[in-house]
Amino acid sequence: MAADKNGCVARFENVGLRYGLGAEVLRDVSLELEQGSFNFLIGSSGAGKSSLLKLMYMALKPTRGMITLFGHEIATAHRKELIGLRRRVGVVFQEFRLLRHLSAFDNVALPLRVAGVKESEIREHVIELLTWVGLKDHLATRPPTLSGGQQQRVAIARAIISRPKLLLADEPTGNVDDRMALRLMHLFEEMNKLGATVVIATHNETLVNRLGHSCMRLDAGQLDFVETPVSGLSGGPANAGGFDAGWGRTDD
Amino acid sequence: MLIRRFDLPLDNDAVSRFLPWIIAFMVYLAILALAGTLVLGAMAARWDTGMRGSLTVQIPPAPATGAAGNGKAAKRDALKIKQALEILRASPAVARAEPIGERQVLALLEPWLGDMGNAKDLPLPHLIDVELKPGAPLDVALLSKNLAKAVPGAAVDDHKAWLKRLIRLVRTFTALATAVVILIGFATIGTVVFATRTGLAIHQEVIEVLHHIGAQDSYIAGQFANHAMTLGLKGGLFGLLMAVPTLLGISALADQLDDNLLPSIVIAPEHWAALAGMPIAAALIAMVTARYTVTRSLSKML
Ligand SMILES: Nc1ncnc2c1ncn2[C@@H]1O[C@H](COP(=O)(O)OP(=O)(O)OP(=O)(O)O)[C@@H](O)[C@H]1O
Ligand SMILES: [Mg+2]
Repeated sequence: MAADKNGCVARFENVGLRYGLGAEVLRDVSLELEQGSFNFLIGSSGAGKSSLLKLMYMALKPTRGMITLFGHEIATAHRKELIGLRRRVGVVFQEFRLLRHLSAFDNVALPLRVAGVKESEIREHVIELLTWVGLKDHLATRPPTLSGGQQQRVAIARAIISRPKLLLADEPTGNVDDRMALRLMHLFEEMNKLGATVVIATHNETLVNRLGHSCMRLDAGQLDFVETPVSGLSGGPANAGGFDAGWGRTDD
Repeated sequence: MLIRRFDLPLDNDAVSRFLPWIIAFMVYLAILALAGTLVLGAMAARWDTGMRGSLTVQIPPAPATGAAGNGKAAKRDALKIKQALEILRASPAVARAEPIGERQVLALLEPWLGDMGNAKDLPLPHLIDVELKPGAPLDVALLSKNLAKAVPGAAVDDHKAWLKRLIRLVRTFTALATAVVILIGFATIGTVVFATRTGLAIHQEVIEVLHHIGAQDSYIAGQFANHAMTLGLKGGLFGLLMAVPTLLGISALADQLDDNLLPSIVIAPEHWAALAGMPIAAALIAMVTARYTVTRSLSKML
């Protein structure tokens, strides 16, 4: 089951979050992510975007309120259930969090290996995806010797390799040029067409406007829904590439 | 479940470098202690069976009164010995009973009393060496009662008291050595727990990523466990490698001692097998401990 009865992948009800004894970083956040939706999350630095995503990928517990993911209430779910839920969530961390000692190939292969996918199936998919993000020549390179943008692309590949039902990306285009940014956004859109619900936290309002999806704005810990395009700028971007997300065909 | 690939860079941390040495040392000590218990146990068993087939009868000498009394006393003693021998030889359990000559008794005492040449004045007891038929039942109490009736003062020594004391001593040693082995086991567990905790702290970031990617606790714990097992086996084998020459050396030294004092220290093949099992035990302890430690620590994560 990818969503609850109402076709809702994630539901926040009056969620509040504070770190330790500090002030509330998120206040009364309520939202529903519809299955198959594509959402931007904007807000100034320190507004709480990463914190909201952390709640969605179950790295943190809310200090108050209720979070339901895929129909499971997180607060009462068993640890075993959470592991199952985590496998349905793909995350591009703001700071990448690649494993330094593993090659780009092994980093991207990790979610599949963790899930027990056969090595023979892993290889083809990983190479296809890394080729698509332009890292065909860096399969064996370790993250420390990759550029920031290259690392970001490895992180994205790792997040989508297992075809998550919910794809969360925290500032996934912060380190690449506009062309690559657009190309990566199309990759997310491709994933979205294949059924993934997508949330992308970003500062880049130009990109948000250009792609024109639903948009949430965090301001001092409070969430609003804003109309896109924010400043009326909308253009149909050229298809950045013929990426065929065929690695997931056997799925579902 | 055996994972051959390691996602965690466990090989590179300092813990992985020092743990095998500690385990090697622990296994070395454990093997020596274990070898001690095995050898002592075998020794006690051999003494036990060796002593059980014999008795010694002691007859106190008649008091000699002056030079004239000496001859009379000797005659009375000879009669006593003869009577005792008759009783002993009449018993169905006795295979052989022979008096031990005065010279032999003196020779036995020589290491303690020095050469006394012709120590006629010394009131030495008369000894009779009795060999028992193997397996024949013998009521030692009854025999000694009969002897004492015929020959006042005669006493039967079946070495039981001495043997009992010896066996008690050996048992104490064995218990001590076993306690040492158990303590070493606990120390090993403690070391592995510490090493694993350190490893967890060092690799916290990687563990978190694996966790978020959807790795089961058993997947992460399995990597730590396999790694600890490898280190345990490595260290254990090294400890065994060091212990073998030590044991052979001790055994060679013991062989040079007077054969009569100590039965030669022999490590039987089955004992070698038990000692060789120690590295495997160390590896298993390391594996189980690491798995438990990691699983416990992961269960605290959301
Ligand atoms: N681990 C933490 N401990 C304490 N405070 C934290 C922690 N992480 C974040 N914060 C605080 O929470 C607030 C929101 O941080 P968050 O990282 O969610 O912002 P953000 O919107 O992602 O910012 P940016 O766009 O710069 O990434 C900030 O004020 C930050 O100081
Ligand atoms: Mg952030």
